[in-house]
Amino acid sequence: MDVGQILANGIVLGALYACIAVGFSLVWGVLNVINMLHGSFIILGGYLTYFAWAYSGINPVVFLPVVALILYGLGFAVQYLFINKVVSAPVLTTLTLTFGLDMILYNVMTVVFTATPRRITLDLGSVDFFGVILPVDRVVGMALALILTGLLYAVMRTSKIGRAIVAVRMDRQAAELMGIRVNRIYAITFGIGALMAGAAGAVFAMVFPVTTNLTGAFLGKAFVICVIGGLGSVPGALVGGLALGIIESFSGYVLGPQHAITVGFVLMLILLVVRPTGLVGVKGYE
Amino acid sequence: MPNDIRPIAIAAIAAAMAAAAPVGARADDDGVLKIGAPLALTGGLADEGKKQQDVWNLWLDKVKEAGGISVGGEMLPVEFVEYDYQTEGNRAGQLAEKLITDDGVDVLMAPFGSGHTKIVSAVAERYQVPLIACVSSSEAVFDQGFDYLFGTLAPNAGVVDSITAYLKDKMPELKSIAIYGRDDVFPKSMAASAQAAAEAAGIEVVYNELYSVGTMDHAAAISAIKAADPDWIYMTGYTQDLILGRKQMADLDAEAPAITMITGPAYREFTDGLGPLANGVSSATWWHHATNFTDGVGVWPTTQDFYKDFLDRFGSDPDYVHASCAAAAEALVSAVTEAGSTDKAAVRDALAKTDIMTFYGPIKFGENGMNQAREMPIIQVQDEAIKVLYPPVIANAELELIE
Repeated sequence: MDVGQILANGIVLGALYACIAVGFSLVWGVLNVINMLHGSFIILGGYLTYFAWAYSGINPVVFLPVVALILYGLGFAVQYLFINKVVSAPVLTTLTLTFGLDMILYNVMTVVFTATPRRITLDLGSVDFFGVILPVDRVVGMALALILTGLLYAVMRTSKIGRAIVAVRMDRQAAELMGIRVNRIYAITFGIGALMAGAAGAVFAMVFPVTTNLTGAFLGKAFVICVIGGLGSVPGALVGGLALGIIESFSGYVLGPQHAITVGFVLMLILLVVRPTGLVGVKGYE
Repeated sequence: MPNDIRPIAIAAIAAAMAAAAPVGARADDDGVLKIGAPLALTGGLADEGKKQQDVWNLWLDKVKEAGGISVGGEMLPVEFVEYDYQTEGNRAGQLAEKLITDDGVDVLMAPFGSGHTKIVSAVAERYQVPLIACVSSSEAVFDQGFDYLFGTLAPNAGVVDSITAYLKDKMPELKSIAIYGRDDVFPKSMAASAQAAAEAAGIEVVYNELYSVGTMDHAAAISAIKAADPDWIYMTGYTQDLILGRKQMADLDAEAPAITMITGPAYREFTDGLGPLANGVSSATWWHHATNFTDGVGVWPTTQDFYKDFLDRFGSDPDYVHASCAAAAEALVSAVTEAGSTDKAAVRDALAKTDIMTFYGPIKFGENGMNQAREMPIIQVQDEAIKVLYPPVIANAELELIE
């Protein structure tokens, strides 16, 4: 067994997984909203990037900030106009609302874009790093994923908005009494979650086929990663993503690919029993 | 926790609908041939479901232009009743039941794929409504002993046998194969058929694994395939799986002289999604527009007639899904004409006796209801275009090995 190659495959995949999960984790952790729209947001980001590339021929990385900002605006509007109305209700209410909104977005995308798989055929080749082959586009994707995750971490730790989000996460009433406009912070947080999803979609359009068929798969992965890594924490999403990527990579090689996903779910179940906060999760936020 | 959370909610709604469903097929003699079709217009198979819908709309327009179909000396109008079953198998079954009991359809068209066809076939058999499956080729679906089920595709095994024999003939050095299939009814069946065909041909199977539905990364399997160093890599799955699989093979430098993907290259979107990486990938398919059948029954007497109409309407080449589904409609019309009515039992008996030529090729249902095996085209992507390698009568290129 080529341990180096399997480990490299897992790390690269894990970084992409982290990129999927970080926005989902933030929204769940701060708003206590299980955002069923998250998978569709990723695919929408992928479609916007794909079509921008297809019509302009410009390197898709250039479009990443634009796509991310568009998704931020969409996320902000969704939270402000819809979810804020029921954000204090039990989690099942917001889950049902986002489920309904997801059905609308998913079906609109299927009608407008069709479900035909599309991919940015910008094949950048691979590099051989001491016998370990690394696909350049995945390495670029991994780098972008780590940069985005790092940026979000920095924003949460150092900016005024970030600290306000953390304050709302820790104690909504206290934050309100301190003058924080909670509904606005909720909308900003949801917008950041959508921004991260859009950025992930832009990265993925270079690696995976973009199709509405994958929205459910992305959502499922985000859920598992959050449980493994720990809810509501940027490092948790990173650790959960990397752990899942590496575990799937090794189990796929050793046990066969049909067992790779199962092993990830088994790990999630074990963690739910022995460490419900996840590998690096904490009860507060940051 | 399932991979996709949404089906749980959909299943709950579907279960409530099932509980409210009436029983008993509605007898309907309203002077219209009413065809029911549960279609996957959203969900994982939305693209495939849309293909069925598109080609049936095209066919229906042609029938309407002709004033309907001739039955017993009168022109009978034709109507399609469609519902989106959202790629949820159980929902497909429930909607098939609704089509029979509420809408009073005379005949059903099966949805895409063997798995969902199997579910719908049980409903059709229970109500004794003829069901024509145009995108199901797994014998497990047709070996249930059902009398009302017919299929226009030939069995899976025939497809794999033909490509195995062809490659063995063209590549004397072919000694080993790696088989990698999606754990789903049709792709799994095609992987099993490949194993049987390879072993029968004396080709050593050096890797044989399935991957789960929802797999988003094939690097581990491809690393293992690379280590096995096969002469032939054979992968089955849906287009998005195959695009990702081929891309990762190139990324990880896991190449073989022959790479076959079932049925990727049969779809234009496979080549579009891969660009130059699609070159060299071979496949077998049930139909290709390069075939040239003539003297067919129905609205398209020749393959070229169908091809031209399709191209005019959609601006792209039809694939075997389009052709097989249009041919299924032709087979149905032929049976209704032969039966002289839309009576379900009479149509079923006429379908069983079908022996016609269509633009798609001959249709003659065997004992189990499947269209009897015939020579199926082997294709390969060369210069990002589909070339036909076999049979010789329509071949327009020679096999190119991947370097």
